Amino acid sequence: MATFPARVIPEGERCGILVPLTIVYLDKRDIEGAGLSIDEAIHAVARSIPGPAGINVFDMEAVTTTSDGVMIEGAIIRMAASDGGRINPDFGMLSMAEIEDSDELLAVEPHLIQWRKRFPGRRLFRGPDPKTKLIPVHNVVITGRASNNNSATEMMNIVTMEEIILPILGQLTCMKGGPVLVGMVGEVISVGIGMTIAEQYGRVFPSRQFKPGETAHGSGAYAKTLKKNIPCVVCDKAVLAEQTIAALDCGCVPARELGCSPAVLSIARAMGYPMALDRITAGAWEELESVGITRTWLEEHPTPMTREEVLAKADGIIPGVERARRVASSELLEMREIDG
Amino acid sequence: MRLMHTKLPEFLDKMNAANDKHLPDHRLTIRGMENLRTVKMQSLRTGRLENEVEEIASMEGIDHVELVMMPRVPETMHTVVIKGIAADGTVKKAILDTINVLHPTEEAELIGCEEIDDRRPPIGKH
Repeated sequence: MATFPARVIPEGERCGILVPLTIVYLDKRDIEGAGLSIDEAIHAVARSIPGPAGINVFDMEAVTTTSDGVMIEGAIIRMAASDGGRINPDFGMLSMAEIEDSDELLAVEPHLIQWRKRFPGRRLFRGPDPKTKLIPVHNVVITGRASNNNSATEMMNIVTMEEIILPILGQLTCMKGGPVLVGMVGEVISVGIGMTIAEQYGRVFPSRQFKPGETAHGSGAYAKTLKKNIPCVVCDKAVLAEQTIAALDCGCVPARELGCSPAVLSIARAMGYPMALDRITAGAWEELESVGITRTWLEEHPTPMTREEVLAKADGIIPGVERARRVASSELLEMREIDG
Repeated sequence: MRLMHTKLPEFLDKMNAANDKHLPDHRLTIRGMENLRTVKMQSLRTGRLENEVEEIASMEGIDHVELVMMPRVPETMHTVVIKGIAADGTVKKAILDTINVLHPTEEAELIGCEEIDDRRPPIGKH
């Protein structure tokens, strides 16, 4: 019988946080190596887990974008939710749509200049095509108690109502190895995750609903409470800085091509990159100011730091994650061999 | 058309009666309908469900029966009506909004069950 490896965060208390369901990360290459289809592998994983689980399949050679619009290597291509060994046949699995490169696309999604400059020829996946859904639910798959939301970056147990936030860069660190930050989402990231960019088939929104400089939350000072007390697994801040700097180096400007999240603005400010502050809407300013990111602070123009300085001091420069603990991903995850 | 839909109390009576024919000492457990007070239930399905409750209740080795009703589609959008009501009972102002609700799917009720006879039509068909 063919076997393949799975990276698993088991349900329960782990590294100081409550993991509400089993989380499984699979590499497409491992599945192909075992001679299985992706769906066969997902079902095999489901059969091996008696409780609720969220299952994400990665193509580590493809690329994706963060909610800020930063382009990165490694993409989720299919997501699933399982419970009791089963996967709901109607709502339990969904694929992400492959995005075709074109000049027309670049004109309306200018952050994709990173694709051409940094990752030419690589396949791009973000969220699903709504037409592939049976009915218009949001970008979610559900089986039994398990819910895998927002194109596999947020998982929950609907019965216990506990939730965990899994930003894509943290998941990719789990795939590649390296330290991750485990803690509570907190106020800054609660605000930042709403500062999305306009994307067709995006991870959260299926159409180009919110432009850079806007907030998808639109809930004023209340936005910072949105996910404040929910556990999360995110990448090391130096990794976030490295990827964001690469986007800035491609000519992407916060609030013009990139989102205006506190993380993006803080890195741009530290290095003296231009920021399109006039494009930030009043609603977005209200949310930013509620977590201490003011226009006055952004216009201070401190002595620009070098890339190396920002990477070395990333923890102090980039706000976000409360009660954070840096742990080796090997401490958070366990490797399991799954029978196909 | 009066026969097309069944009143809620009648629906509950029919389910309980179907159970009690075979398990008079073990009351039918009904969940998922707690918020329903005044609704009409699809009559053809009421009859089918009545037969199915009886079918399960009459099986050998069954101690008691549960009937669980849950949304077929696990994300439902609901209208929310927020009403300000004056002392004389009139609605002075109402705001309409929506909220989406995520529900567990049937697998949450089927843990450990091997024999599942899925008689549901495909989604979109009655």
